[in-house]
Amino acid sequence: MKTTWIKWSASAVTGLMVAGCASYPDQATTRQMAEKMVFEAFDASLAHMKRLEQDRSQQICSKIGDAKLSREEAAEVVKLARASIQYPASGQLTGDWKAGDRLAHDGSGDRIRSGKTEANKQNGALCQNCHALAPGEINVGNVGPPLTGYGKQRGNSEAIVKYTYEKIYNAWAYFPCSNMPRLGATRHLTPEQVTHMVAYLLDPQSPINK
Amino acid sequence: MKRMRGSNLILGAALCLAMAPSALAQGNDLSIGRKMLMEDNPGELWIDQGKDLFHQKRGPKNVSLEQCDFGMGSGKLEGAAARLPRYFADTDRVEDLESRLLTCMTRLQGFDRNQLIKDAISAPASRGSDIEALALYVTSRSNGMKVNVSLSHKKEFDMYKAGEYLFYRRSGQTDFGCVQCHGEADKRIRLQDLVHMTSKAGAQEVAASWPAYRGAHYVVRTMQWRLNDCVWQMRLPDLKYATDYSIALTTYLNRQGNDAVMQVPGFKR
Ligand code: HEC
Ligand code: HEC
Repeated sequence: MKTTWIKWSASAVTGLMVAGCASYPDQATTRQMAEKMVFEAFDASLAHMKRLEQDRSQQICSKIGDAKLSREEAAEVVKLARASIQYPASGQLTGDWKAGDRLAHDGSGDRIRSGKTEANKQNGALCQNCHALAPGEINVGNVGPPLTGYGKQRGNSEAIVKYTYEKIYNAWAYFPCSNMPRLGATRHLTPEQVTHMVAYLLDPQSPINK
Repeated sequence: MKRMRGSNLILGAALCLAMAPSALAQGNDLSIGRKMLMEDNPGELWIDQGKDLFHQKRGPKNVSLEQCDFGMGSGKLEGAAARLPRYFADTDRVEDLESRLLTCMTRLQGFDRNQLIKDAISAPASRGSDIEALALYVTSRSNGMKVNVSLSHKKEFDMYKAGEYLFYRRSGQTDFGCVQCHGEADKRIRLQDLVHMTSKAGAQEVAASWPAYRGAHYVVRTMQWRLNDCVWQMRLPDLKYATDYSIALTTYLNRQGNDAVMQVPGFKR
């Protein structure tokens, strides 16, 4: 009995590996266990607990390990992203670069500590956390590509203005599941704030283009 | 037969893990800069504090923690932390270091769990909490030994898979999962270097260096504190202390960090 079991198990193991190691626990079981853990791990009001719920795009974009997006999934994320984009009531996509400059360097807003949300009137735009901005600034991240000279390189044609607005509003409209947050679509930034970011990136007077 | 089948499946899965590409990359040593910092690590002071707390008779039941089993048998600390998180039969749960301390401090010593949790993460520049000091002392008894997280129990393996899932789970208004900040080499948020945890070397750095002295806070910090801080940056709500969410992530990271040589307290910015 023992030897047959070993034989059987050895071939079963090979079989499992050929099958892509998907056997135990299966993905649905893991997901169910882990999702339960998420909702038991936080101490929060109902409104704050909402932040733990994934929307459809986040679900698609939470691929484990080296798993790739399928073409259909990528298309769905882009479609949802496009549908999410709202434009400011004025229709004017370029705002005030000085306001944008301030926001770009502000990494605060909407964090929660001891049940209280940060008391800022408006959220910072977080750009500096991830992107190099004006030349010579040292305290900048590199999770995203440098934006230094962004407007100088691209000009400010209508097409560029529109692309930049939409990219900041929902980065996944152009790059599904990228590491850049969908800052407008998730309501971290208002459409008006996004117009300030556009001005900051594109205005020739903005320090980023100096 | 049913039973054997279960363990066989786990064996198969464990083999898959051993073959995962991330596990094939080689670890590297801590950078020279970090080594220099560690030679004069103020966190060392907390080891003695933790040792005293460990051996003192304390709590409503007035007993020491010498009977606490961290997985190697009552009171056996050598190499115990290097194998955490792991499954404990007496609680029928996978526990990490901090949840195991809570278990012993409540069951053996009779402390109130809620109060322990309230005090667990100390104020900056304070003398630190009992749990911080104890966690460091217990872990220091694995210094020089290799991280060796086993997934042989079904619950350990489940925990690992859940942790992996959570590492990649995106949510909230910044669309962050852990991997958005810890999934690539040589990345920074502003000037803060981000450990590349999907590489073997990065996971090893994490698994080998916590609890760590946190320079900016002048106290020793535990993994639970670190997770709280990352979750805060992700704009998620307050993470409770020692829940399965943290234990799963810690199981995942430490397992990925297997074979790293433990050296605590780490020294962090
Ligand atoms: C958490 C990291 C992160 C934050 C915060 C972030 N970005 Fe990005 N950004 C990225 C990444 C990663 C990319 C590259 C992938 C992509 O295009 O989506 C990127 C790409 C971009 C691009 C496209 C560049 C090109 O060559 O077309 C623009 C424009 C941009 N970001 C602007 C911003 C602005 C403005 C902000 C703040 C309002 C911001 N980003 C905040 C990570 C971030
Ligand atoms: C927005 C960026 C961001 C996200 C998302 C994030 N972290 Fe971090 N993480 C950081 C920063 C910044 C540090 C600290 C770097 C420093 O202090 O120099 C850090 C440090 C850590 C460390 C300590 C590394 C060491 O020095 O040993 C661990 C462990 C960790 N994070 C785990 C996680 C886990 C698990 C998640 C998801 C639940 C997560 N992080 C999500 C930014 C992030």
